[in-house]
Amino acid sequence: MTMRRFKPNETVDFVVVGSGAAGGVVARELSRAGLTVLCFEQGPRLSPADFEHDELKYWFLSGITSDPISSPQTFRKVPADTAKLPRGPNPLMYARLVGGSSNHYTANFWRFHEIDFHERSVYGSIPGTAFADWPISYRELEPYYTKVEWEVGVSGLANASPFDPPRSKPYPMPPMPVKSSGVLMEAGARKLGLHPYPAPLAIASQPYRGRPACVHCGFCMGFGCEARAKSSTLFTMIPEAEATGQCEVRAASYVFRVETDSAGRTTGVHYFDADRRPHFQKARAVVLSANGAETARLLLNSTSNRFPHGLANSSGMVGKHLMFNQGAGVHAVFEHEINDYKSVQVTRVLHDFYDADPKRGFYGGGGIDARINPQPGLWAMAAGGDLPTWGPEFKSRLEAFPRSTMSTGHCTSLPLEANSVSLDPSVKDAWGIPAIRVTYKDHPDDLATAKFLQDRSYEIMEAAGAQKLWRERVEENSGGAHLLGTCRMGDDPKTSVVDKYHRTHDVRNLFLCDGSSFVTSGRGQPTMTIQALAFRAGDYIGQFAKRNEI
Amino acid sequence: MHHTEDPEGTSRRSFLLSSGSLFTTAWLGTQWAAITAAAHHAADMAAADLAAAPQWTGFRFLSESESKDVDAIAAQIVPSGATPGAREAHAVYFVDRAMSTFFAAWSAEFRAGLAEFQSKFRALHPDATSFAAGGAGTQTAFLRTVDQTPFFETARMLTVLGMFCSPKYGGNTEGIGWKMMGFEDRHAFAPPFGHYDANYTGFVPYPEKPA
Repeated sequence: MTMRRFKPNETVDFVVVGSGAAGGVVARELSRAGLTVLCFEQGPRLSPADFEHDELKYWFLSGITSDPISSPQTFRKVPADTAKLPRGPNPLMYARLVGGSSNHYTANFWRFHEIDFHERSVYGSIPGTAFADWPISYRELEPYYTKVEWEVGVSGLANASPFDPPRSKPYPMPPMPVKSSGVLMEAGARKLGLHPYPAPLAIASQPYRGRPACVHCGFCMGFGCEARAKSSTLFTMIPEAEATGQCEVRAASYVFRVETDSAGRTTGVHYFDADRRPHFQKARAVVLSANGAETARLLLNSTSNRFPHGLANSSGMVGKHLMFNQGAGVHAVFEHEINDYKSVQVTRVLHDFYDADPKRGFYGGGGIDARINPQPGLWAMAAGGDLPTWGPEFKSRLEAFPRSTMSTGHCTSLPLEANSVSLDPSVKDAWGIPAIRVTYKDHPDDLATAKFLQDRSYEIMEAAGAQKLWRERVEENSGGAHLLGTCRMGDDPKTSVVDKYHRTHDVRNLFLCDGSSFVTSGRGQPTMTIQALAFRAGDYIGQFAKRNEI
Repeated sequence: MHHTEDPEGTSRRSFLLSSGSLFTTAWLGTQWAAITAAAHHAADMAAADLAAAPQWTGFRFLSESESKDVDAIAAQIVPSGATPGAREAHAVYFVDRAMSTFFAAWSAEFRAGLAEFQSKFRALHPDATSFAAGGAGTQTAFLRTVDQTPFFETARMLTVLGMFCSPKYGGNTEGIGWKMMGFEDRHAFAPPFGHYDANYTGFVPYPEKPA
């Protein structure tokens, strides 16, 4: 197969910025619709053989993630504070390579429920927040969830959870084999009258569309899949986009500005190549799928006379309403070996507490799963809990690794205007572009929800017969990997950045599609919905292009 | 909310019936090619790790007295005993390598913290030549007075990383940290993974939607 390579002066139909969970899907859908697509990726293109089981590199030296030396980010809790460079990794974690964060995600692929899209109507407003309904319903998104499951590849058992939203098709692959942690969680939860079910995962449980099944190496969370069993866009959408002959993926190319003309239309993007030489790429339309942090940053860095506060930002909402998903775990030690470091991170989950319940006295809900920090170094760093963190008792704790697991709650984060991605006034990245400044402080209801789910996790592990149990601290977030809500979708151009088709209210030929489009946070596993939105966006944007409505 | 009819029919039922054994021998048979590929990759990686595991040629960052104290601190964090501890894993080699290469940005701070640690110890124990030369009881009693300091937390983090990260970074010699912890360094596993999933009889569906 000859890959498409666009010439320097060629005008493409679409530039897609970002090749991750959303960008990979959008590029594939548009190129399949017969449009020419140039997909930019700031990071390198790696192959499965490049991925390693190297915890130091991947967790502590930013092996494939945004690196605090070349791409620093600052953090503060509230706007009154001066943001500082944190020690260690960047507060907003995302992978920087072809396939983006779909390489290193854990691959939990829950669908949103119907309630996620109209909670504001059901529960009413929440003072001090921008809690709102989505402009689309679950019903409108359902066909695209099904598309994700079949075309990207998701394993699971349809309707196993009595709380599952309606679906038009079963999963294409059976769920992954259950692990001991899943068996224990299931036993404990069933004893309490709850409804655990096999976790849906974007990991192949059997050979699927030319990819092999998972070999259970255990290095999913935080790592690229060396077996190609994880349904990362690197192995799924990207090669299919390239196979159309209509799409080029240009790696190691960092887009730093979206250009507009005097009519207020985008004309293309400026980017640095691998040698940091600037170039301009002409395009008839641009889609930003750079993730919930970088999409907002790119708009804010694309000011002009016509757009003095950043591109597509007449509402002032670009970068606002950042949501991470709160959550907290319970550690448990059992009598016999669990070996939770083997295979995928999660095999059982429950949604009994998914919906908010006004009787609790706070807004929020979520899912609970059985999981662990599977890799030995990462796990040992957090081991201890209420035990001494050094000495013989600490060592005994380390030796209990094979008998240890966790149950973790994953929950809502409310959209707050102050929680945001903005430009740091003084810090720049290695290319001289203003860096991301993160402002984030959890709403008290988010912390209350995390505590509530943690108490339920505790009861489940207790009912499962744990010998020893202790809670993680429920803490305010100082960063996150779920980058949501920063260019929210809505019908009103005064309070939202994109319309229900991901077109910016301000620039007719500029679209945004990634976690930034979220109106509410969901319950902690956003990539499934990011990809469903991306399939839907690709479908509509392709139709607009064909009807000359761009 | 309503639910669609279960569209899986017999395929779902047969999966439920067989899920206890589906992923054992038959599964291995169909997956052999993928596992072999992963195993080759694992062997390549292991060979690369061994090749990259640094031949110890002496400390590049720590002085002799610093290295002895760091080794003694690490040996109290994860003590030796029936199973190896941080000393046998050569966590101190990892610390030296970290401070001279990938964590060099923290090295001045680490050295200053260690100097403060040493001077505090000498002030309390004027007769001891160094922390490393102090008795085990003296060492643990002193550590209890400093185990909330940023220096100790850094030393603890480095000790843990030095015990459990890849041997190619100088620590976790021959993977003994992993062995102590019960972690098998392999690139493919097959069910059952642990005690509790060995006899799992399959997921039983819920009879109806709860109220």
